[in-house]
Amino acid sequence: MALSRLKKFCIPENSHQVDDCVAEYGDNALILAGGTFIRGLEVRGLLSEVEALIDVHKLGMDGLVSGVGNVRIGAMVTFAALEQLAELHSAAWLAAVRDALACPPLQIRNMATVGGCLAASCPFYDLPTAFLALDGSVTVSGAGAQREIGLADLFVSLFENSLEPGELITELTLPRPPGRSASAFIKLEGTANDLAIVNVAVSISVDAAGVCEEARVVLGGGVGDRVVRSATAETVLKGQQLTHEVIEHAAAAVGQDIEPMADHRATAAYRLAMAGVFTKRALNQALSRLN
Amino acid sequence: MKQLISLEVNGDRHEIAVEPDATLLEVLRDHLGLLGTKQGCDSGGCGCCTVHIGDRAVYSCMKYALSAQHQKITTIEGLGADGKLDAVQDAFVREGAVQCGYCTCGMIMTAKQLLHDDPHPDEDAIRHGIAGNLCRCTGYHKIVEAIRTAARD
Ligand SMILES: Cc1cc2nc3c(=O)[nH]c(=O)nc-3n(C[C@H](O)[C@H](O)[C@H](O)COP(=O)(O)OP(=O)(O)OC[C@H]3O[C@@H](n4cnc5c(N)ncnc54)[C@H](O)[C@@H]3O)c2cc1C
Ligand code: FES
Ligand code: FES
Repeated sequence: MALSRLKKFCIPENSHQVDDCVAEYGDNALILAGGTFIRGLEVRGLLSEVEALIDVHKLGMDGLVSGVGNVRIGAMVTFAALEQLAELHSAAWLAAVRDALACPPLQIRNMATVGGCLAASCPFYDLPTAFLALDGSVTVSGAGAQREIGLADLFVSLFENSLEPGELITELTLPRPPGRSASAFIKLEGTANDLAIVNVAVSISVDAAGVCEEARVVLGGGVGDRVVRSATAETVLKGQQLTHEVIEHAAAAVGQDIEPMADHRATAAYRLAMAGVFTKRALNQALSRLN
Repeated sequence: MKQLISLEVNGDRHEIAVEPDATLLEVLRDHLGLLGTKQGCDSGGCGCCTVHIGDRAVYSCMKYALSAQHQKITTIEGLGADGKLDAVQDAFVREGAVQCGYCTCGMIMTAKQLLHDDPHPDEDAIRHGIAGNLCRCTGYHKIVEAIRTAARD
């Protein structure tokens, strides 16, 4: 029993009950969604301070809307529920999310939530890399107020997000990109059930003449203490025809924006080399999806 | 402090007093004596604790028992009827897809959802579908064959 101080397991039915529990337990209250990250921390003995778990599954937050200007995904939407979004299987601009959803095993897809994977602020996950490449932002609510946070500002560092105590992510918004757009995500992993050595998501928009108007290149896995956007690679792509040479050049540029680490999965040099290779593959994949 | 909860497992309702941090896995095995569901890694890495909540396969080691109230839970003991094995269980026996058996119940629960979602999976879909279940004995070949057989019959 690694939650040795747990006194209360709340299952609130409205936001006031969340606020009450947070008021009583302060920093020692922890939001519980799918539990797949939290249980991992618990068995490693990292939650010994927690006095209250707040299971938010009765608060709704499970909407899935293909809107005019965006797609909105409730925080409690599981990966499996997200797979049911019809547009995900046809829209080229959303393809990076489809690619990333294929990575986690079935049981995790059934349990893990979109809000949980973002709040965990773990750069080794796959979905956050894809969501950042699609310029995602989250709606956050707490103590009666609401605010929007871009994902780049949500992820502060490894396992640290910018939420205030008691703040809840309620929804993720992915804006529809202009013009002809496509995205792609690729993960390099050691085994079928492991976290990423490196992962890459890209999103590109081109005008009628095929010139790149917008580009987002995002890398995860052990390439920084959070998911990293490669501004250098994006600058190489923007305003150009996406030729073989331009893509090679952009892929080589990602090395300037990442700080690969060494761990039991891979050396830093291997990660650096693979970041380039997988950026190139992801860009080619996105390009092949432009219609 | 223990809390009284109500769980519906294999069609039966149970009132049980549990610690608030008890996992569904602990409750199934230690309180209800349903030992078909196994404990391996206890942290989402092996799959031998797989059960269904509704018609979805989940790791029971990653689910707090309190979060599993008011839902239909099915374990391996809930498959089959009238003393007869379920088709997937039967295929595992006929194909000899079991060695030590530790992974088998979780593997079958995963295969059940796989076949429910895709009644005729090809080999790739089967291997991808059971990626969250480890087997240290069989080398997977016979497990894949058993799932194929269950799909055919
Ligand atoms: C075996 C295994 C394999 C995995 N494979 C992959 C993979 O291939 N690819 C991948 O991308 N990921 C993978 N993961 C990681 C998985 O995506 C995360 O564990 C999951 O997304 C966490 O979500 P959850 O709903 O379970 O969160 P929880 O564990 O419930 O919570 C996670 C964190 O977020 C906080 N939180 C949750 N919801 C909210 C909210 N609405 N507002 C504010 N804070 C909140 C919690 O307090 C906690 O700190 C894997 C995990 C496991 C265990
Ligand atoms: S015991 Fe649950 S996944 Fe290993
Ligand atoms: S039969 Fe022994 S682990 Fe699979």
